[in-house]
Amino acid sequence: MPESHAEIETDELARRMSAVVGEAHCISDPAGLSVYECDGLSHGRIRPRLVVLPASTEEVVEVVRLAHDAGVPLVPRGSGTGLSGGARPTPGGVVVALSRMRRVLEVNLEDGWVRLEPGVINLDVTRAVQGRGWYYAPDPSSQSICSIGGNVAENSGGAHCLKYGFTVNHVLGARLVLDGGEVVDLGGPSPDTTGYDLLAALVGSEGMLGIVTEVTLRLLRKPEATRTFLATFPSSDEAGEAVSGIIAAGILPAAIEMMDTLAIQAAKAATGLNWPEVGSILLMDVDGPLAEAEHTSAAAIGIARSAGALEVRIPVDEAERQLMWKGRKSAFAAVGRLSPNYMVEDGVIPRSEIARVLREIGRMAGEAGLRVANVFHAGDGNLHPLVLYDARNPGEEEKAAKLGGDILRLCVRLGGSITGEHGVGAEKAAYMADMFAPEDLETMFLVRCAFDPEARFNPDKVFPTPRLCGERPGPYRPHPAEAAGLVERW
Amino acid sequence: MTATRPARPDEAVLGVAPGAVAEPATVEEAAEVMKGCARDRQRLVFVGGGTDLGVGAPPAGVDVLLRTGRLSRVVEHSPSDQIVVAEAGLTLAALQRTLAAHGQRLGLDPPGAEQATLGGIVAANAFGAHRTRFGTARDLIIGLSIVRADGTAARGGGKVVKNVAGFDLPRLFVGSLGTLGLITSVTFRLHPLPEASATVAVEPITGGQARALVVATREAQLEPASLMLLAGSGALRLGVRFEGFGPGVRQQTGRFSGLVQAAGLRGELLDEAGAEAFWARHEAARTSGAVRVRLAAPPSALEQVLAGAVAPLAGGLGQGWAVLDPWVGCGFAGGTPADPASAVAALQRAREALVALGGSLTLAAAPPAVRAGFDAWGAPPAAVEVMRRLKARLDPEGRLAPGRFVGGI
Ligand SMILES: Cc1cc2nc3c(=O)[nH]c(=O)nc-3n(C[C@H](O)[C@H](O)[C@H](O)COP(=O)(O)OP(=O)(O)OC[C@H]3O[C@@H](n4cnc5c(N)ncnc54)[C@H](O)[C@@H]3O)c2cc1C
Repeated sequence: MPESHAEIETDELARRMSAVVGEAHCISDPAGLSVYECDGLSHGRIRPRLVVLPASTEEVVEVVRLAHDAGVPLVPRGSGTGLSGGARPTPGGVVVALSRMRRVLEVNLEDGWVRLEPGVINLDVTRAVQGRGWYYAPDPSSQSICSIGGNVAENSGGAHCLKYGFTVNHVLGARLVLDGGEVVDLGGPSPDTTGYDLLAALVGSEGMLGIVTEVTLRLLRKPEATRTFLATFPSSDEAGEAVSGIIAAGILPAAIEMMDTLAIQAAKAATGLNWPEVGSILLMDVDGPLAEAEHTSAAAIGIARSAGALEVRIPVDEAERQLMWKGRKSAFAAVGRLSPNYMVEDGVIPRSEIARVLREIGRMAGEAGLRVANVFHAGDGNLHPLVLYDARNPGEEEKAAKLGGDILRLCVRLGGSITGEHGVGAEKAAYMADMFAPEDLETMFLVRCAFDPEARFNPDKVFPTPRLCGERPGPYRPHPAEAAGLVERW
Repeated sequence: MTATRPARPDEAVLGVAPGAVAEPATVEEAAEVMKGCARDRQRLVFVGGGTDLGVGAPPAGVDVLLRTGRLSRVVEHSPSDQIVVAEAGLTLAALQRTLAAHGQRLGLDPPGAEQATLGGIVAANAFGAHRTRFGTARDLIIGLSIVRADGTAARGGGKVVKNVAGFDLPRLFVGSLGTLGLITSVTFRLHPLPEASATVAVEPITGGQARALVVATREAQLEPASLMLLAGSGALRLGVRFEGFGPGVRQQTGRFSGLVQAAGLRGELLDEAGAEAFWARHEAARTSGAVRVRLAAPPSALEQVLAGAVAPLAGGLGQGWAVLDPWVGCGFAGGTPADPASAVAALQRAREALVALGGSLTLAAAPPAVRAGFDAWGAPPAAVEVMRRLKARLDPEGRLAPGRFVGGI
């Protein structure tokens, strides 16, 4: 008999959960719980009732059954690095942390895939196979800490997704535990499994369909050559023009990253790089077979120069190349050196609008009396404006949040998106209605209902207004012609 | 409400005659047709160019056949953003012509581009030899508009390549064969037309040699745009196409030719006409024969696929052919059997062999006598119950292409 969660005592729930995962892996003390109050987005903390850390699919199934019977919501969690509050606990709910499920189960380089548990850290996938010249392509900046389960849930991207695609292009299969404990396998290592592409629905579903307990990922052979260069520009106008020119020339770079003055200052402060404090920097990788990489990199440098590059730097060795990328990848966190507080935004615009949008963001920031640092994936128009503020000044945090929201709406107005890789989560649910009509959201919600009709998993995320799945659809009613015996269903 | 007309005899869907045909000229009209059918509880089948109607099982019944051919506008092409929004009834060839004028293309090349429509390609998950490099519609679609069974128009995805807002409706509709809703427009990411392209043909070659060459090509870090093994009467023939900028293509073809030589095989760098003929032959094979099937298995199983599936099909289907992409692990086979019973037996053997390898065999075309003895899809996949629940949510009355899909969905 299902009980509502008001009825079941937390102590009793903890006892039942402990019996499944072991007492050491069921956290109920306030200090232990406080670690799980939020993800990478530190405001809006909510203390979970319990945190459980199962070690296997079987344990996840038991945990889900217990929660189902007790009517308690569950929030899956990987490494907790999400930036949209996706792993933020639901009030009264239990967090299911997958961090103990970290085994690489099977590597098959004949067919180029790896099967692993969801708690495996992104970078560890590549580490497991790089000795043999292979790698896992999606490379979020958080790749040394974020989990594959989180990547699947967020459809994470990274700098090199411009050429190689996002998580969804690299997930071949998944094992999913649904409410009630049903286990389903979606996709698999062989191409073209029959039926609906449920895997596509799962990737990017932000933990709302079930708990992923196994993932099969496609691996790639490392490209033969990578050519990197950094170009400096007086302003983002010229840098934006260079990006457009490179793409128009038919070049598909592995990555093109852009940073503005504030972001450059932050990266320098964090890494000691000797970058000039110019208006804009582009950092670009091209890769592929040697001659192709050589040719496209020379062509791209030519385009950057004619777009007005002040200087082009080519790393002399792999160490210098790594340093350039370190500068880029540390820019996020480094912004903390410029300001006591900052908010990370994640919007997408059509690539051709980059220069115009950056000017507009500058104008909006000026009006709000705030500073915005921009560091982003220019090749696919994925902006990461970092809104700097000081929470000690009354009203400034609200102003920063409003500016962030205005930037997202600007992205939508230009035909872009409110999120390119961080997800909607708890943070951006309110903006979904700016991007989608009620009918669009309803259709997505129907998909959710097909997997999780009682909203067991992450119930209060993504959708702007909480809903119920309503009546379960009734049994099939025969078509009148069928009932009359005129046609047959087989 | 858009008027319907009586169906012509050639408009039957796998032998099932529609009650009436609607040909809406706008997305709004299409939604009206859908609403009307919802009100009257009529069953619908959607047809684009009709090139892949043989995929799947015959519908349990068709009250209204909705043809998308008049929904054929390019809604938006932004060359600088490399995206295109187009209505579902636009043919692939018409789209490619528009794009080529701007030096761009959609990386999909299923056969029959003059007839095949974008909506049909997405719904049937159709693909061609460029799959090696670009993947399928799943890898290129970034947005779509649909009309649900109840007549509600909705949209998913967007117009930018990178976008994770909301559930991924576009990819969910890839391969759904008109059972989840009417696709009214699609948005794709585009690629530049290559500056250079070159094809090397290797003949004769055995399955084992082809597999070894694929592994060597990968180890040499070459990046083929297409890689296709043609099996017909006589020896196997492998075609490998490289695309990109001139210097890259020259280097890759040179190095590939070196691998061919090192393996003791004979490779020929085809001239333009020769390359065109090779890929035309591939396409002709794919559209010939009364029985056609799609094959899939892990790429490492190439030899088992040839022995366990392609060989029996060649015998049982009559004048059999097969084309296999040994890089991806997918392919097609077909022929015109003299006798349905031997065709069914061969199909069964081939399916068993592929399923044992973890793969699949599904029908893409077959006469009724063959369909009577052979299920279009085979055993339903592990997640079929979830698929039924999805169908029940989006089409609760089961009116869209009833019975066409996996597991009788
Ligand atoms: C410094 C920094 C840089 C970042 N850079 C990038 C970047 O470049 N690109 C990018 O895309 N993201 C980036 N992120 C965001 C974040 O790292 C990614 O979203 C990542 O995928 C989250 O993984 P996680 O394991 O931390 O997941 P969590 O934060 O724990 O969870 C994220 C979501 O996944 C769900 N989830 C987790 N595990 C499972 C499971 N097994 N089954 C079902 N649902 C599950 C959760 O419920 C939640 O909704 C960055 C974050 C930080 C802090």
